[in-house]
Amino acid sequence: MTSPDLLRRFLENAGNAAAGTHIVSDATDLCRVLSDIVPGTDPAFCPGLTDKEKAAAPALPCRAADYAGAAATVEEVYGAIAETGSLVCVSSSGRAVQAGLLPAHHVAIVSRERIFATLDDCFASFPEDPPTNITLVTGPSRTADIELTLAIGVHGPERLDIIVFLSEPCSEA
Amino acid sequence: MSDVQTSLAFRANATRALGDASLRSAMRQAADTFGTKRADAFASVADLEALRDKASALRLQVLDRLQEYEEMFASRATKAGATVHRARDASSAREIIAGILTDRGAKTVVKSKSMVSEEIHLNAHLEKAGMEVLETDLGEYIIQLVGETPSHIIVPAIHKNRQQVGRLFAEKLGVEYTEDPQVLTKIARRAIREKFLNADAGLSGANFAAAASGSLVLFTNEGNGRMVTTVPPLHIAILSLEKMIPSLADLPTFIRLLPRSATGQSITSYVSVITGTRKPGEATGAKELHIVLLDNGRTEILSGECREILKCIRCGACMNVCPVYRTVGGHSYGWTYPGPMGIVLTTLLTGMAKSHPLVDASTLCGACVEVCPVRIPLVDLFLKLRERRVREGFSKPMEKRGMRVFGKAAASPSLFSAGQFLSRTFWPLVRAFGGKDVAGRLPRPANVPFHRQVP
Amino acid sequence: MRVQLFGTCLVDSFFPEVGESMLKLFRRFGVTAVFPKKQTCCGQPAFNAGYADDARAVASHFLSVFDGDDPIVTPSGSCAAMVKHRYPDLFRTDPVMHAKAERTAGRIYELSQFLVRFLRAHESGFAGKGTVTYHSSCHLARDLGVRDEPLILLQSMKGVRFVPMPDASRCCGFGGMFMAKLPEISCALADEKADSILATGADTVTGCDAGCLMNIGDAMKKRAKPVQVRHIAQVLAEGL
Repeated sequence: MTSPDLLRRFLENAGNAAAGTHIVSDATDLCRVLSDIVPGTDPAFCPGLTDKEKAAAPALPCRAADYAGAAATVEEVYGAIAETGSLVCVSSSGRAVQAGLLPAHHVAIVSRERIFATLDDCFASFPEDPPTNITLVTGPSRTADIELTLAIGVHGPERLDIIVFLSEPCSEA
Repeated sequence: MSDVQTSLAFRANATRALGDASLRSAMRQAADTFGTKRADAFASVADLEALRDKASALRLQVLDRLQEYEEMFASRATKAGATVHRARDASSAREIIAGILTDRGAKTVVKSKSMVSEEIHLNAHLEKAGMEVLETDLGEYIIQLVGETPSHIIVPAIHKNRQQVGRLFAEKLGVEYTEDPQVLTKIARRAIREKFLNADAGLSGANFAAAASGSLVLFTNEGNGRMVTTVPPLHIAILSLEKMIPSLADLPTFIRLLPRSATGQSITSYVSVITGTRKPGEATGAKELHIVLLDNGRTEILSGECREILKCIRCGACMNVCPVYRTVGGHSYGWTYPGPMGIVLTTLLTGMAKSHPLVDASTLCGACVEVCPVRIPLVDLFLKLRERRVREGFSKPMEKRGMRVFGKAAASPSLFSAGQFLSRTFWPLVRAFGGKDVAGRLPRPANVPFHRQVP
Repeated sequence: MRVQLFGTCLVDSFFPEVGESMLKLFRRFGVTAVFPKKQTCCGQPAFNAGYADDARAVASHFLSVFDGDDPIVTPSGSCAAMVKHRYPDLFRTDPVMHAKAERTAGRIYELSQFLVRFLRAHESGFAGKGTVTYHSSCHLARDLGVRDEPLILLQSMKGVRFVPMPDASRCCGFGGMFMAKLPEISCALADEKADSILATGADTVTGCDAGCLMNIGDAMKKRAKPVQVRHIAQVLAEGL
């Protein structure tokens, strides 16, 4: 699969699962999108561990100290999968995977280079001793337990936005 | 409520269910919806048959070397920080789990869906030991509130309509009546969120266990599975032995098959892979993880002629297409597992003496065989169980005698002809004897059987 | 061409007109149909109920009556499936009988399957009138893989309007002994099948298995405007 195909396939599948999708190519772009989708009055949790997470700071005026009380979590994730439109959230590097679970709104930043073509590619990327938690996230939480009627937003987030970063913000290879 | 198995009353249960119009309508809608969704979901899958072959082969591979995979899993999971327990039967599993919770002084337990926990009646046991066990899967939450058991392995409250759920929430949660599923879902979210954050322990099942890495895999949509397994400090997972897959490299095959087979989704909202406890420097994972591997009859089934039922990945596709299940619902089967896979598993796990009427709960139409993602030869298994029922002496003496007569008569043309003559001549008597339900539905035999008309 | 005709116990006892129709069809296509007089039943009732020994007794008789090399044709998908898929395994511990069963299994065909594949009967110009719909029997479709042949035949009939039935391949509730053991469920399924049939507006419903048609016929009796229930052999024979 070519790179543009991969991206297109990922965005299509993610969209079909009711995730909002956005493409940005630099820090300014990122902040513009974040200002659009995260209301300024909503306390947002952002771990600030990666460059992209740090670059998001200006767009998040109201910060939550912890994800438990946050209205939104903005974070960079391990990767994504084109085949299913999923995000790959992993517990390595001291990351709290549940940060993307508890708040009502999850905003995930992922680099285009980290989009795997298939599920097989994704699982092959982990060592023999995998991290404690690997979670594939496809769209917001949902249920059809009542009369098979789809309800979005159960225990997990009610809203998922994915921001695909097309290139590194501070480097030109 | 039903800790008592009522499979022996299948016919009466079913007849009662047939008279319940709202149940029938709910079951019909569910079966039709899932059937269509499954077909739609697989329409875009390149080679479904190859996928099914692969899944079947992987499951057989595990069954052929189950002990080896079980030991591998236990060793890797332990290395990753989990404590692995083996429970020979239901009572030992209950004791192990109750013991862990009591030792930790755990009073409140949040639980995500686990059919195996229903099988061993875990909740009742823990509640007797003074613990509060809260089901967090919306469907399970609903039936827990109303005091019933699940009627479908994927959508446990399928037999409840929105009005019934609305009235239930109004009564038990003190909220204003609404029958809007969106609003009802939000009510449940608020009610349960508090419990997640303050629970002493989380109790879950697992869809699969990957042996090579010692990982548990959970497929969920609501997020409760994730909450239960990562928020409380203590996580206990219970799963039956045969849920092993060799490694995470084999997981994609099942990710492609299970959600589509179950609900027609191409993937569930969440697929969680949990390997051991929170390691130093990590911010995710339970501090303490106990994994209970349950046998409860699986090893015995493994060595028998019906072992292929252990390939089952609990997708529910078979019950969604079953004409009988669709008509009478899950409770009629009288135990934890309903529908086609339920007929086999119930009979094998609880024994013929407690479940033999279930082997008749099939027209042998084969719809289940067509959709099973791991190619379990369900119809063949029904036939084997029917033979076993006769061998073990659970068939009615009159039927046995009748079949003996049939066997002799149909092997002898003159006897066969004589039999036809007698039933033709004494048809009113045959009808009276056979009852209006059976002989009453047959037409009168022809005056001249075909073999007499042929030149 | 010569064939052996297996009428089936249901046709023999209750629906000889189906047998008559088959003879008529074979005559039209110049096929010599031999009816081995000692035939009785394929043994399904015993087999499906778990009485393997009794089923074997009947199956042994069948194998000796239908010994030979000619194709065996039967107006029943379930009986053909019984012989084709269950007989060999029934004799798995007896090499001689097993071999005999395999040979016989290799030469049995359901009627519509035979008409289309061997006789290309759908090109012969059947004719008729009215609207017909089709019930797809379970063993016929799922065990024998015969799904298209009946439709090809019915749709070839000039003057006949074919209307597909919703859920055509959903079980009608007959299931052989099922009808006797769980009559309440059987009736409920037959009623749903009758609903599907009535939804088509057809005046005739047809199928390839007399057991199914008998069950459907019973459900139709209770309806205000019952639809005629005919075996495909009859529909085609009348269309010659």
